[in-house]
Amino acid sequence: MASLISCPHCGTRPKEEFFIRGDANPVRPAPMATDEAWNDYVHLRVNPRGRIREHWQHVAGCRRWLVVERDNFTHEVFAVTDAAKAGEGAR
Amino acid sequence: MAYDYQAVHALDGMIGAIAERRANHLSVHRTMAIAMVLAGPGQTAEAAGILVSNGEFEARFSGPGEWLVLSQVHAPETLAAELSVRLGGFAFVVDQSHGRVVLTLSGPDAARILANGIAVDLHADAFPVGRAANVLCNHLSLNLVRTGDQSFDLVVMRSFAGALVDDLKVMARSHDLSVDFATR
Repeated sequence: MASLISCPHCGTRPKEEFFIRGDANPVRPAPMATDEAWNDYVHLRVNPRGRIREHWQHVAGCRRWLVVERDNFTHEVFAVTDAAKAGEGAR
Repeated sequence: MAYDYQAVHALDGMIGAIAERRANHLSVHRTMAIAMVLAGPGQTAEAAGILVSNGEFEARFSGPGEWLVLSQVHAPETLAAELSVRLGGFAFVVDQSHGRVVLTLSGPDAARILANGIAVDLHADAFPVGRAANVLCNHLSLNLVRTGDQSFDLVVMRSFAGALVDDLKVMARSHDLSVDFATR
């Protein structure tokens, strides 16, 4: 587990300060999307080894949601961005 | 039916039995005007400007567009209303005067004591006077600010104050620490 996360608002902090929600890649389907699309979104997750994007919340710090890009094999952290900023490109 | 409400400090009966002052001292403030200010969307700069331009408020960084505001000038009962008027539509204000407890840790070992539970670099170069941050102290989240070379202010949720004082006593076991209320 990556143990030090560089929060864009608070600086370098230990992972204990954060809550990890999980994969940041699934995009919420439209309300009336098919049951299959909703089933995929709610239940199905890929289980990759290597570079992943996750939603982390800095609960003990600025309480902002962050997108952490890290490697779950080497524990290297590549980028930490505020989820609001990270989402601007996707929206 | 009329009620008589009595303000009871979260640490009443837990500390203050012994009035002593050792090299390092943890001073617990009895009353402090505290409010949480959250800037409206896209109005962080405006809200920050109003808070900073006014010497009556001490705004401590809590998150982006979010500050813990303390005041020595205003009373706990009036700070939130005063801030609401000054900030107008730029920010939301929530009174925290009775929701949080302010503690001042001072002494030559203050940074060393805190380092036993807080994983933030507290060297004066990395955490200068005036810098504030929400940090995790053991298992408690608190707002930490450096008020001097050898003094820090800790603002913690009221119900965690007792646990924090116990934690600080353990963290300071190899240092000389006394705990007391700031005013008796």
